[in-house]
Amino acid sequence: MTSSASAHEMDRPPRKTSGGGEPVRTHMGDGERGDVRVEVRGVGKFFGSKLVLRGVDCAALAGEALLVVGGNGAGKTTLLKIMAGLARPSAGVVDVRVPPEACAYLGHATFQYPRLSAVANLTFWARMYGLAPSRAELEAVLERVGLARVAGEPAGTFSRGMAQRLNLARVFLIGPRLVFLDEPGTGLDPASQELLRREINGLKASGAAVVWVSHHLSADLPFAEKVLHLRDAGVAYFGPAAEFDAGGLTC
Amino acid sequence: MPNIKILSILSLAALAVGQWFIWSYAPLEETMGVVQKIFYIHMPLAWWALVSFFVVFVASIRHLMKRDAGSDILAGAAAEVGVLMSGLALVSGSIWGRAAWNVWWTWDPRLTTTLIMWFVYAGYLVLRGSGMGGERRALVCAVLGVVAFLDVPLVFYSARIWRSVHPAVLASQGGGLEPEMWRTVLVNLGAFGVLWLTLVLGRFGLGRAEERARALLLGGREGA
Amino acid sequence: MLRRAAAIAGKDLRLSVGGGQGLVQAMLLGLLLIFLFSLSRPTGELVSGQAAAAIFWLASAFGLVLVFNDLFSLEEVGGCRLGLLSSPVPEHSVWLGKGLAGFLLLVLSQMVFLPAAAVFLGQDIRGSVPTLVLALIGVDWGLAALGALLGALAQGQAARESLFSVILFPLLLPVLLGGIRIFAGVFSGEPAPDEALWAAIIVAFDAVFSAAGAFLFPFLYTGEE
Repeated sequence: MTSSASAHEMDRPPRKTSGGGEPVRTHMGDGERGDVRVEVRGVGKFFGSKLVLRGVDCAALAGEALLVVGGNGAGKTTLLKIMAGLARPSAGVVDVRVPPEACAYLGHATFQYPRLSAVANLTFWARMYGLAPSRAELEAVLERVGLARVAGEPAGTFSRGMAQRLNLARVFLIGPRLVFLDEPGTGLDPASQELLRREINGLKASGAAVVWVSHHLSADLPFAEKVLHLRDAGVAYFGPAAEFDAGGLTC
Repeated sequence: MPNIKILSILSLAALAVGQWFIWSYAPLEETMGVVQKIFYIHMPLAWWALVSFFVVFVASIRHLMKRDAGSDILAGAAAEVGVLMSGLALVSGSIWGRAAWNVWWTWDPRLTTTLIMWFVYAGYLVLRGSGMGGERRALVCAVLGVVAFLDVPLVFYSARIWRSVHPAVLASQGGGLEPEMWRTVLVNLGAFGVLWLTLVLGRFGLGRAEERARALLLGGREGA
Repeated sequence: MLRRAAAIAGKDLRLSVGGGQGLVQAMLLGLLLIFLFSLSRPTGELVSGQAAAAIFWLASAFGLVLVFNDLFSLEEVGGCRLGLLSSPVPEHSVWLGKGLAGFLLLVLSQMVFLPAAAVFLGQDIRGSVPTLVLALIGVDWGLAALGALLGALAQGQAARESLFSVILFPLLLPVLLGGIRIFAGVFSGEPAPDEALWAAIIVAFDAVFSAAGAFLFPFLYTGEE
């Protein structure tokens, strides 16, 4: 399968999801730093009769990280899933301006098959993205996350930190222009968290837009350009990270 | 919203007229006697059950295309009424079979299809009540609503072929009706139709009210 | 799309055959069923071809439930369903891949059920072998098409197995009846006179539910819980 934009459109229904309102436009150009990579307008979401999101507007730009914060159950993960095309908004529009081949999702789940080896896992995911990486490329990317030594071992034997680094290797293989992060640092030791933040910075430097759901506000805030604060299913703050007043937000 | 109270009174009256037709108007069948009168209830029940399942099918397709809450609620309402009516049709059919052919159950294609559909849509109702998240549950149920109805003709034909090899214990059940009997059948078909409409619309209205309560929460979001 | 479906099926087969739970469980449960039904045979009497065929297909239907439950739970362990859905893989590839893997695993388990039917139920293949093979493929195709669609139905549900089987079994009836009737003919050596009609029903079932599966699967397989 080629990874051209037209092939993708035939492959899969457009993931631009709309709950009504204006028609959704799609730009697939490479764009420059500062371009809008994903934009959300008036998104609302129900779970059954429970309202979890209401009237959310925000955007993530190339080369920047958008930190999504809020208390438990504020709808952070739901918003991320809606932006990544994994869930449908009950209302509003999501406009993703890069093809799916250039989007990567890194959650707390490690996306690994425990009985497959690290290399086999990576190869499988590469094929899902229409890539056929050579052995050398695989080794290089495993080296980068410090797993070259255990490349042939089943992912099920890995510690949480190792599994999440393998997951990170998957993101590197994709070479994304838009990255969705759902608390990827949960349960990681300080060293792995440090590596993760460094690599997120690296992805930003390469021009990717990052949407980042975070539980560690104080630690992650210095790495973000924008902040979206969700409270009571709505937006409490959306703007530059430098001007964000964390207030009573503890997590 | 059509007035449910008026419809309820109407369906009561229609059913009463239907009963009069059954007991006073239609002649007594010669070989089977009074048991044959089950047929006037059995047939409309089975017929409207099938209509219910067709409504589930259409509403499910509509829900998949538009993802509106209304279709989902309608599909649920129709499925409930359909399971109820096909269940009653099975019971009445079984009593009929006992009286007519001395067995509680025969491999009659219509009866078998009704039974299988009862199983399928009872499963559908279990799925509806399984406590999945709102939109996902509606979607999953819509998919099953489509698949289930696609199965109806296949079940019917396979039941028919299956039976044709087994020397069956019965003859065709509807043949040789007198004109009075036909009129009674039609009147009862209509009466049960009014009852069906009342039940479906009643359940639909209830579901709609739930939906409105939910929509009130989302109010004020528009234009944001 | 086909290449990705093949990659998914290949991965699933590797995981299922190499120490997976689903296939082994399916085989054991099917064997157990065939053995238990053999107890209904009075000593010294033969099980009719039709009874044996019914037992064989019942074992296959239970195996089907376990196989597809396992195939879909593979994606739940490490959250891989989200990985697949956030990748550019079309959902159809997932359906096709799962269906392909499920079909092969089902055939594999039937390679155990068939001899078991011969041993415990005293059956022999007296009819034509090509008929048997064709019927097996045709019926399994229908089973796999519907199993791959509805296997995604109870994703993230606690009571997946029970709900799945309650919904799946009545829907499978037409194709199972076809399988039973044709297998009965092959076991007894007297082909059913309406074999062609049954073949038509099996083909119709396969066509209807392959199309329905391809069309409806994307609605079922989503990132929502």
